[in-house]
Amino acid sequence: MTEKHKQFIRNLVPIFTLLILVFGIAAYEPGFLRPRNLMTVTADTMTLFLMASGATLVIMLGSIDLSIQAIASMTSCIVAAMLPMFGGTALLFALAAGAAAGILSGLVVNYLRIPSFVATLAIGGIMTSVAFWASNERSIYISDEDKLVWLNWATGTTAGIDHEVVVGLAVLAVLSVILSLTRFGRLVRAVGSQERAVVASGINVNGVKFFAFVISGFMAGLAGLVMAARLGSGSPTLASEFLLPAIACIIVGGTAITGGVGSIWKTFVGALIIAVVRIGMTFVGVTVFAQQIVFGLVLVLAVAMTIDRTKVSVVK
Amino acid sequence: MASINLRALAPIGVFFLLCIVIAIFSPNFLSVSNAIRILNASAIPVVLVMGATFVILMGSIDLSIEGIVALCAVVTASLVLNDTTAANLGMWAIPFAVLTGGMVGAINGATHVYLRVPSFMATLGIGFVCLGIATAALGGFPVRIADRGFRALTLGRTLGLPNGIWVATAAVLVALVIQERTRLGRYVFAIGTDEVTARQSGVPVERIRILVFVLAGLFSGMAGVMAAAQLGQGHALIASGRLFTTITAVVVGGTALSGGVGSVLNSVVGVLIVVVLTNGMVLMGVPPFVQQGVQGFLIIVAVSIALDRRQLEFVK
Repeated sequence: MTEKHKQFIRNLVPIFTLLILVFGIAAYEPGFLRPRNLMTVTADTMTLFLMASGATLVIMLGSIDLSIQAIASMTSCIVAAMLPMFGGTALLFALAAGAAAGILSGLVVNYLRIPSFVATLAIGGIMTSVAFWASNERSIYISDEDKLVWLNWATGTTAGIDHEVVVGLAVLAVLSVILSLTRFGRLVRAVGSQERAVVASGINVNGVKFFAFVISGFMAGLAGLVMAARLGSGSPTLASEFLLPAIACIIVGGTAITGGVGSIWKTFVGALIIAVVRIGMTFVGVTVFAQQIVFGLVLVLAVAMTIDRTKVSVVK
Repeated sequence: MASINLRALAPIGVFFLLCIVIAIFSPNFLSVSNAIRILNASAIPVVLVMGATFVILMGSIDLSIEGIVALCAVVTASLVLNDTTAANLGMWAIPFAVLTGGMVGAINGATHVYLRVPSFMATLGIGFVCLGIATAALGGFPVRIADRGFRALTLGRTLGLPNGIWVATAAVLVALVIQERTRLGRYVFAIGTDEVTARQSGVPVERIRILVFVLAGLFSGMAGVMAAAQLGQGHALIASGRLFTTITAVVVGGTALSGGVGSVLNSVVGVLIVVVLTNGMVLMGVPPFVQQGVQGFLIIVAVSIALDRRQLEFVK
C-alpha cells in the first residue's frame, strides 16, 4: 500500500465513524434520520464547528489556541451589551474584538516568543476580564426585537434550512478555499510539517502564524455571536464548557496536534461526530454531567492516535 | 555570574516593591491582621505550586490542577461527616483524598509517557475527566461538611497562626527536601535542562517523569483537602481559577517554562506576589474580575522576561 492509499484511508476513518454512529443511533431510534431532525442536529453543532474552525489553522501550524472559549464568551457579552444602543454596529464591534484577541495572541507568540499554549492561556484570562467588564459581571438578555432585527441571520430559518447551517457551510467554504487555494493556506501546511525548511526558503513564518491566530480569534468571536443569538443572552461564562469539545472535534476529525496534517472539512466532520456522540450518550442514559469524562478520554485517545511521533523526539 | 544572581533575586525585589507601592496607597496593608490574611490566602496556592514547579522544571505542564483539586475536595467531603454520604472517617479522609490525587497524577504521567502525548494535552483531557467525575458523582450538587474537627485543619489556629499556614509550610519543607536532597530532585533539573543528555547519562527519564506527575497529583490532592476544609463543602467548581493562579505564581517566581531553571522557593515568592497583588487591588477598590486579566498580563510579562530565547529555535 502506497503512502497515498494510506492517506486516503486515513481521511475516510472520521467519515465512517460518523456514519456508523448515526446509523447506530438510528437503529435505536428510527426517528433520528428524519430530515428535520438531522437539520436540527447539524444546526446545534454549528457553534462548536465555528469555534473550532479557525483554531484548526492554529493546530495545523503545530500550535494551539486555548483562548477560543474566552473570546466567544467575550463577544457574546459585547454584542448583548451594545445591541440596544448601537444596533448592527455592535456585531462589527464584537467581531473586531474577537480578531483583536487573535492579534494579541499572534503578537505575543511572534515577538515575545512565548509558546502558544501559555500565550493563549494568558490572553484568554485577559479576555475573560474584558467579558466581565463589558457585561458588568452578569448575564445580559437580548430583547426579542433586537434579536429579530440583528441576529436573524444566525438563528432564523429560510425554506426549511436553519441559518446556523448556512453560516457554518459558508465558513467551511471560505476557510477551505483559503487553506487549499491561497499561498497563505499552503504555507500553513508547510510551517506545520517542516518549519525549518520554510524558514530556510526565506519565507516570513511570523506572518503566517499571525494570520492563523487572527482567523482563530475572529471565528471564535463569530461563534460567540451565534451562541448569544441562539440563547438570547450574553454572559462571561457562556462558552466556558466549549474549549474541550472544540479541541476534541479538531483532533477527532483527523487534524494532528503536531501540525502539518488537517483540513476544515475534517473539523466539520469531527464536530458532527462529537455532537452525535453526545446525543448517543443521552440515548444510552449517560448523564450530562458524565459526558465531560467521555470527552476528556476521547480527546486524549484521539491525540494519541493522530500524533506524528517522528516529528517530536522529546515529548514534553 | 552576577547576572544570574540578579535574575534569581528579581522576584523578591518585585515583591518588596509591590508591598511598598500598595502600602503608600493603602496604609491598612501593613497591619498584622492583613499580613496574616495574606499568608492564609497563600496557603492553598503554595501547596499547589509545590507540585506544579517540579512539572514545569521538567519543561512540561500540568493543566489538570483544577480537576484534581475538585475531585479530591469531593472525595474528602464525602468521607468526613457530611450531609450526603454515611461516611465519617474524620481525619482518615485526608490520606484517601491525597492518594486519589496521586493516582490521577500517575494516570497523567503514564498517559504522557507511554502514549507519548504532550503533557499539556494529556493533563487537559484528564483534568476534564476529573471535573466530570466530581460533577457526575454529585449530580451537580455540593456535599456539605459537618465535621468541625476536620474543618479545624484550615480554620483552627496554632501559635496564633491559622493551621492552613502550617500545612503550607510543611508542604514547602517537603518539596524543598525533595528538590535539594534527593536524586529525584537532581534528575528533574537534568531532564529539564537537556533530556537527551540526561537519558544518555543513565537518568531513568520515563520513571522520573511519571513520579513527578504523581508528586504534583499528591500536592494537588492536599490542596483539594484544604479547599474542602476551608469552604466546608466539596463540589466540582471549588477549584475554578486555581490553575491560572498557580501557573502565574510559578512563572512570576522566575521558574522558566522551558525547564531546568527555577526552584520551589521561587514559586513561594511567586505566590506571595500574586496574593499581595490581589490583596492590594481589593484594598484599593479594584473590581475582583480584573484580577484574571492582570494575572494573564503578568504571565506574559514574566515568561517573556524569564525565557531563555537562545534555547528556542521555533516557538509553537
